[in-house]
Amino acid sequence: MGPNGSGKSTLANTILGHPAYEVTDGQILWRGEDFTEADPEDRAQAGLFLAFQYPAAIPGVSVANFLRMAMNTKREEPINVKEFGAKLKEATSLLHVDRDFTKRHLNDGFSGGEKKRCEILQMAMLEPKVAVLDETDSGLDIDALRTVAEGVNTLQRDKGMGALVITHYQRILHYVTPDFVHIMLDGRIVREGGPELVEQLEARGYDWIREEVGALDG
Amino acid sequence: MAEARSTKKGAARAATLYQPLEGRGAGDGRSVEEIRAAALEAYERLEAPTWRRSGFWTTSLRDLDLDALEPRHVEPGGVPAVVTEALGDDRPAGLLVQRGATVVHVELDPELAARGVVLSSLEDAVREHPDLVREHFMRRLTYDRHKLEAATAAFWTGGAFLHVPDGVVVERPFQIAYVIDEAGTAQYAHTLVVAGANADFRVREYDLAGEFEGPALHAGHFEAYLGDGTRARIAHLQDWGGDGQEVYDVSTHFARVGRDGHATWIPIHLGGRLTRQHIELSTAEPGSDMRHRGIYFTEEEEHLDLFTVDLHEVGHTTGDTVWKGAATGASRASYEGLIKIVPGAQESHTYLQTHSMMLSPRAKVDAIPSLIVETDSVSASHGGTVGEVDESQVFYMQSRGLSRHEAVRVIVEGYFEPIVVQLDDEGLERLVRERINRKLAAAEEDIEAYAAAK
Repeated sequence: MGPNGSGKSTLANTILGHPAYEVTDGQILWRGEDFTEADPEDRAQAGLFLAFQYPAAIPGVSVANFLRMAMNTKREEPINVKEFGAKLKEATSLLHVDRDFTKRHLNDGFSGGEKKRCEILQMAMLEPKVAVLDETDSGLDIDALRTVAEGVNTLQRDKGMGALVITHYQRILHYVTPDFVHIMLDGRIVREGGPELVEQLEARGYDWIREEVGALDG
Repeated sequence: MAEARSTKKGAARAATLYQPLEGRGAGDGRSVEEIRAAALEAYERLEAPTWRRSGFWTTSLRDLDLDALEPRHVEPGGVPAVVTEALGDDRPAGLLVQRGATVVHVELDPELAARGVVLSSLEDAVREHPDLVREHFMRRLTYDRHKLEAATAAFWTGGAFLHVPDGVVVERPFQIAYVIDEAGTAQYAHTLVVAGANADFRVREYDLAGEFEGPALHAGHFEAYLGDGTRARIAHLQDWGGDGQEVYDVSTHFARVGRDGHATWIPIHLGGRLTRQHIELSTAEPGSDMRHRGIYFTEEEEHLDLFTVDLHEVGHTTGDTVWKGAATGASRASYEGLIKIVPGAQESHTYLQTHSMMLSPRAKVDAIPSLIVETDSVSASHGGTVGEVDESQVFYMQSRGLSRHEAVRVIVEGYFEPIVVQLDDEGLERLVRERINRKLAAAEEDIEAYAAAK
């Protein structure tokens, strides 16, 4: 968690290896392996996933076809039609998404809410080991938010997925219970704690953290 | 995007290099042989052409040694492998293949022949259907705008003639293939399509090269006259090969749509050493409508110069043009698209858009949509974009596990896909996708270098 401009999305993009970000200090370790210089696709194939804050539209390729391509990057043999169909059915029903939705071109002309659902649908299909959700909650109405949270919870429970949920509201945390809460400010993690930190934050706001950090730095 | 509702003579013409045919034609009741003789006279008089648009675009045929090329006559019989590979297994309504200067194969569904459909070499049609040919041959094509056009009109041999009589509806396509498979070939091609009223059919021209090394020339004419209420779906696949095959292609294609008729025209230009193409669609009677969709993909040292015309000759006509292209290697591609609405053609409604994608730092593309509107009460607008692969799209797909090359392939395929599906034929769609993918794979290094440079 952290206020606007604190570096949350920068962190998310850096973890996935966005070429616009250069790591000048430190390392990204993935299960003991140094990922600092790895290509984004290698990170994805190893089990990392990013649900984008602003997903790119890819005209001309359907959601379903794109999912099939993405799933095949992690497999020796291409996924067969039956298995893919069954998985897609499961994921679309979990996320209350119409099957016709998967025939539409990826994010092309999608509403803000549809884009977020599509990110979570991809997450459900790709079954990453760790998913980074970059403000997936912003711009969602309460029903959509519940559905998205349900998706995250199900994958966490059934598939053992870890999730790094980035947000600057407390709202999604009413539906997803974090094990750890990290507060980011000016590019640094300045507070760590459990769910109780969220409640304190809700009651006292980011200025409280800012003052406390300022007092420490001073 | 620009909108024009009146004539802007100076502004509209300044940047344009080419003129529409706009009704001109050599066929004025003269016989085929009389036109041939006049064209020969023009050929001898004219110099090899160079087209130059103020400063930044030149298409020149001065490097082409016309005297070193000649028509190659071969024994009829047999369909070259390059044709069977491209056409697949689906049985067409009819197939005509010209290899070099000779029509080597003609087949037509006998049931269609019984209903009056004709598919034959144009040479045969001159003898067997003299009235139809004399009425339409070069009615709207000229022979004296430049030397190559004169050469086509003077030296054409073989050729294709398709006649679809009134009311004939046929779903399977008529296929006409021009093949060059020998260096030094000059192929002068002429296709004439005449359709009666209320017919509905598909016709395709394939321009294909076999395996050879060295220069060759295809100089072609295509003309189609569609009767009232007739719907024609025309496609044109040009693929003159890559490495070593130096095919020059200078061609003019024209179609006239009748009253309440429809034409869709989808040219796919997959390359040749140098291509200079004039494509003109005329909505010539009230209620006529045309949909023009085109694709080009240039690579290596290829040079492509396209000029399309959406000509509205009367009012109450509609048009819609969309061209998409991509350029790799050190190729050059220019697309000039003109909407022309003549005086008196009120209530014409049309739109033209052109998009180009640069895939190499050494490629150059040029997109010039233009309008000449000589009446009022019309809607005519145009737009154009020149772009590159969007890096945010690439990263998005990489974050899902796709390699950079796969991501670019998906983007380019997705970019062309809305046009490819309009071919409305699985086999042909697959062929186009496959050839585009092959070109992308060949250009992988270039595409990487371009991304790294940014």
